[in-house]
This record gives sequence, C-alpha cells and structure tokens, in this order.
Amino acid sequence: MSLILKRTLATAAETLTKTPIEPKLVDVLIVGGGPAGLTLTAGLKNSKIAKELKISVIEGFNLSSVKTFHDETPSNFSNRVSSLTPQSIKYLQKIGAWNHIKEERVQPYDGIVVTEGISDATLNFDSPELATMCENVNLQSSLYQRIKELQGQETNEEFGLEIKDNTKVIEITKDPFNQWPIVHLDNGETYKTRLLVGADGFNSPVRKFSGIQSHGWFYKRFGVVSTLTLEYSPFRSIGWQRFLPTGPIALLPMPGNQATLVWSQTIELSELLSKTEPELFVQLVNGAFILSDADMQYYYGQIRKGKTEGLIEDIKWRISKVQKHLTEDQIEDQYPVLATSVEPRSIARFPLRLSHAETYVADRIALVGDAAHTTHPLAGQGLNMGQGDVQSLVKAIEKGMQRGLDIGNTLVLEPYWAERFPVNHLLLGVVDKLHKLYSFSNAPVVALRSFGVNALNSLSFVKDFMVSKVSGNK
Amino acid sequence: MIKSPNVVRQLKHVSRITSQISSKRLLSTSPILRHQDKKTSTSQDEMDHFNQLASTWWDVNGPQRILHKMNLLRMDFIQSTLRENIPLNEGVLNKEEEIYVPGYSLDLLPEQIRNAIVHEQESKRDQVISQMPKYKILDIGCGGGILTESLARLPTVESVKGIDLSTDVLEAAKLHKALDPALTDKISYQLMPIEDISKSEKYDIITMFEMLEHVNFPSEVLGSALSHLKPNGWLFISTINRDFISWFTTIFMGEYVLNIVPKGTHHLEKYINESEVQDWFKEKPQFEVVKSEGCMYLPFKGWVYSGNASVGNYFMAIRRVK
Repeated sequence: MSLILKRTLATAAETLTKTPIEPKLVDVLIVGGGPAGLTLTAGLKNSKIAKELKISVIEGFNLSSVKTFHDETPSNFSNRVSSLTPQSIKYLQKIGAWNHIKEERVQPYDGIVVTEGISDATLNFDSPELATMCENVNLQSSLYQRIKELQGQETNEEFGLEIKDNTKVIEITKDPFNQWPIVHLDNGETYKTRLLVGADGFNSPVRKFSGIQSHGWFYKRFGVVSTLTLEYSPFRSIGWQRFLPTGPIALLPMPGNQATLVWSQTIELSELLSKTEPELFVQLVNGAFILSDADMQYYYGQIRKGKTEGLIEDIKWRISKVQKHLTEDQIEDQYPVLATSVEPRSIARFPLRLSHAETYVADRIALVGDAAHTTHPLAGQGLNMGQGDVQSLVKAIEKGMQRGLDIGNTLVLEPYWAERFPVNHLLLGVVDKLHKLYSFSNAPVVALRSFGVNALNSLSFVKDFMVSKVSGNK
Repeated sequence: MIKSPNVVRQLKHVSRITSQISSKRLLSTSPILRHQDKKTSTSQDEMDHFNQLASTWWDVNGPQRILHKMNLLRMDFIQSTLRENIPLNEGVLNKEEEIYVPGYSLDLLPEQIRNAIVHEQESKRDQVISQMPKYKILDIGCGGGILTESLARLPTVESVKGIDLSTDVLEAAKLHKALDPALTDKISYQLMPIEDISKSEKYDIITMFEMLEHVNFPSEVLGSALSHLKPNGWLFISTINRDFISWFTTIFMGEYVLNIVPKGTHHLEKYINESEVQDWFKEKPQFEVVKSEGCMYLPFKGWVYSGNASVGNYFMAIRRVK
C-alpha cells in the first residue's frame, strides 16, 4: 500500500515540475538587441530569400531609448559612440537602415593624426570619409525604424518578428527529441528555436551554453569615455590619437563643437579620472594630448593626495607654455582644439579585453559580435567586426535556404565562420600588437618605434594600404 | 598515408579495372535487360552495405559528410537550371513590357548596364516564380533523405515523394524527417521500386542522384522514371563516368586512401559514361539534355564544377519537350 502511495506521489511531483505550456516555435532566436542583433534582424527581414523566417529578439535591457530616439531625439550626445567604416555603412545602406539615421548627429572624418606620447613622432592617415562617428543608439534606432518600415501594416504574427526587451535568458536547454535549443526566459516563457544566435556580448550566455571556448586576456586597462565640448568647431574633421605609456587617448569629432573621448588608462587611474571633478577632467584631457608624461604623472600624484587646488590653472599655464613658441597653424596641425567642458553624466569607464572564441558556430548555434570577439578600441574596429559578422551570417543563411538546408545545420553555418574567423583574428592580432608596442617606454624601443613611425609616415602607399584595410575598402 | 592492405589489393587490380572501363555499359542495348527481375533492384550486398550506413547517415561530420557536401552542389545545380529556364517573356503582349535578353554574353557590357539588365531579369524571374504552381517531386533512390529534405524545404515545392529499396536507410530517413516540423506535410517516404509507382502518378521534377551506378538495369530505370514526367517536367540525374580517373578518385582515394567514402559504396563496372547517356537520349526526341556538368571534390573546398562532364562525376538535367 505504502509503495503504491509513494509511486503516485512521485508521478504527481513529476507532472508538476514539467513546463505546462509548449515552448513557442521560432526559426531564429537572437539573444541581444544591440547593434549586431538588430542589424541581423533587419538584414534577414530585408532579404528576399530569408524574410519568411520567424524571428524573436530577446534583450535584457530596456530598449525604450532606441524606440523613442527617432521621434523624441535627445539634445545631448550619448557617450556610447562608435566609428563606422565605409563598409559597415554600405551594408546599412543596402538593407535600407541608413535612410533612418539622424544624419545631423553623425560626423564623418577624413583622417586621424596619430602621435607618440614620448618622442612626438607623428603619423597622419588621410582618406576622404575614413570613417563616420555615430552614436550606438542612433544606429540601433535606424535599424529599429527600418524593421518597422518593413513590417508595415502587418501584425507581429504575420510579419514573423517580435522584439522583447526587459527580458532575460535564465536557462538554455536542449529538446531531448530533436536537440533544438530551448530558451527559458525570466517572464516564464520558453522558446524552441531552429537556430540560436548569440549577439549577447562578452559574457554571452549562448556561448556558455554551447560550450564554445573563448580565449584572451584583460588588458589591465579601462577605457574612459565622455562627451566633450570644444573651444570652437574644428576647421577640419579629423580624429586625434596619442599613444601614452598608459595606453592611447583618442578624441574623435562629433557634429559642431562636440567631440567624443576614449582614453585607455590603468585600472587605478581610470577610477581616479572618473571621480575627478568635471573642470579638472577637461584640463587633464587637454594635458594628455599636449604635455609630457612626467607632467601628467605629477598631476595624477597630486590628485591621489587630494591636492587638486590650483591644478587647473597649472595645467592651463603649462599648455600655454608649450604652445607659446608655435604659430597658430602649427598648433592647428599638431594638437586638437582644446576642450572647454564635459557633459558630467557622460564620464564612464569599461574594461578593455581581447577575447576570441575558438569557433563561432556549433549545431544550431551562431555567435556574432562581442559574443565571438572583443578588441581594444584603439583602432575603432569592435562594432565594425560585428557588422562584418552579421553581413556574412546573413549571406550564409540565404545560401543555405536556397539550397533547402536546415539553417541550424553546421553545413550552413560553417562558411560564415570560415569567412570571418581569419579576418577577425588578423585584426585582433594587429590591434593587440599595436597596444603592446606602444606600452613600452624604455628608450631603445621608443627610438626604434619613432623611427619606424616617421619612416612609415613618408611611405604613402603603405599608409594607403593600411587605411584601406582598416576602413574596409577593397 | 596508405594504411590498409586493401589499398595494395586495389592497386593490383589495375588490369581488371582496364577491362571494366573498356567493356561498354550500353544503356539501350544492354544484354542484361533480358533478365526478368526487379529493374531497380540492386544486388543483396549493395543493400546490406547501405543498411549498415543507416545509423550515421545524417551525421554531417560522419562517414556521409562527403555526400552531405555534394548535396550542396546538387541543389545549386537544380536551382540554377530551374531558374535559368524560366521563360521571361511568355505571354507578354507588347514590346514595351518585354524583358531584354541579349543574344550575347552580358560580360561584354559595361558593369552598370550589365547590373541593370541582370537586376531586371532577376526581378522578373522572382515574379514568374511566385505565380507558378508549386512543384511535385519524385526522388528515386532517396537513401536517408538528404536531397529529399532539401527539396522539400524550398518554398517553390509542394511535395516530395522519396522512394528507396533499403529498409534501414529509409527508416533513418523517416526518423530524421520527424525531427523537423517544417517537413511533416511535405515529404512521404515509401519502400518500393520505380516500376511499382502507379502509371497515373506524374511529376514536375524527378531526381535520381548517385543512383544509376547502383542499379543493375539503368536504361529500364531511366525509362520508367521518364514515363512519370509531366510535359515540360525535369529529370535530374547524376552518376559517374567509367574511367580511370573515376576509379582513382571515387574508389581508390575516396574509399581506400582518404577513407572519406564508406568502403564498398562504389563498383566501377556499374559506372555509366556521360556520352552513353547522351547517346541514349538522342534516340528519344521527346526529351532534351539541357545541361550537363562535371563535378569533383576538392578537399578543404568541397564539391565544385570541373568543367568536363566526361570525366569523373557529373550532373545532368533533362527536360520533356514534347
């Protein structure tokens, strides 16, 4: 009797724990509504071949700023800005998203002046429309508007797309019958998908579920970002980058007298900088482009000790001393326009890492963007690598569908990996070597490096080749 | 590199190979036609061989990987043939609406003009395709269903019937079909020879890929298949030329040295030359060989067109014109 009772109880418990509702069936589940995830969504829905696919996008954060950006555009620039290469823009134009970009908020630039923090060796890269600075939210908004445009009057059901924000993935399992991934969300819903795409960033839950290993390291550096206002609108639209022993500092143009900063700093100094009062922060940025490393180290020391009084005037005085002997043209050629203020809430920092996944694909899995690779921002390639991934993945899916294959099949996904892995690997490697080369401060290395940089600066054909590689032109 | 004594044995048989190559396997006048037997039927050892492969048929990284890879080029061949042969100006009443199809190579034109012409033609093709009735397909020798599933997933296809004589392999096909809900209503599998299909069943497309080299009476099988073809319908076949290169690539290298094809898959004496098929169709004016492409497997690259249909493997597209 007791045996029977136990048995009954056990069955009851089992039925209770089972998911009561059948998972929703989709063709592509994209985890991550960032630039990579939304470009993939727009790319597939814009494709003549792939538009019938049923897609769901799951985003952990709130996308309301993306959804409202088009109609209620904020006045300030966001601090999350990326440099888009002509190749990335070409693809955004092809899929019809670039029409929806707020053009008054993007800034193309024709060159970048790279200087060396210790010896002042200079390298000028010039190319018409080398790249375009664009807020990530502007890019996401353009993609979102394009998706809405493609949807037209259709319901989500008819169009085969839903975008869910404020929803997190809590667990991914496999269907025991056909091995399709089942994604469990924190709102209790479950999705069963033919293809699961991880566009879910560095800590990609999709990558972890798939067991794909990722290798790399933390640079022991943080990137400090902010939006700055300059003394006046620069006459030339160019970027500035100075390699300091602590890492590169870069100032890139935004429309008008605005500019965006990416400053690679040690963990300790990045924290110190992000807590510094805005007026002093601005002068430290100006100083980092003009003064010697010894001067900067002195200021950091004073800030550490809390002796910030009079520092702002001191930095201004030293800058004027350096520039006193130069003509206005020389100043214009060698240094960026001085910053006068910073949008206080825009100062933020993020860890800089190199990582590369061993593969981007597994059975019913594809990784794109930061989920597959992260890089140092010094070459402005991070977001563009993700755009390249998406372009290649859409092509692979289209080809697979033309061949009547199951798009979760590795035969469909392998060409994507084969096309992108070597390109990304090369870029990650070059950026990593640049970072390391410029981290040395002992004299022989600096001398060699400066000689190399000055020699390179006079070899225009080599530079053209480098520009074409970095800007993604053929 | 050379691992097994089988390789040496294969090499010793070169003289036998030469005789197998030269002895004709004439499709039309084959003396074996006189045997009264199941025409599609293959010998018992061929059946045993394929039954053994059933469990790993769908593992794209397993013993059938090369076949999965070949399926990619098969689908490209079928899709491009169908697309190229869509009439662009059928039923067009006035000259204005006609799509320009130049009688010379488009490559001679400047890029912009070429792109504009290609774009116009492609859009028209898409439009014609979207208005066409969907294809009913018969896949003869469907095996584990690699091609059958691919055909069934195409939006232009209504249904595919797959037939084969190997019980276990067909079982593997049915099990695999059940894994994808998109295929439920589009595929039916049946264990039967082509001769047993009801005379009234007609198809828009019939496929026989990597199949003729496994049957004893290829001309009978071809004939039966053609009798089920609708007017303007397509027959797609692929097989292997009976020559030294085929032996070297498909049997010696494939099965014995590189081990990328399961041993015992091929028998050289059953291979059919492309010219033999061409000759066979010359006597049948209601059919036209529209396209014939040689293909080969390149390690690290997969299957590509070889540019020569009379050497090694080849694909062929035949259309019922009357």
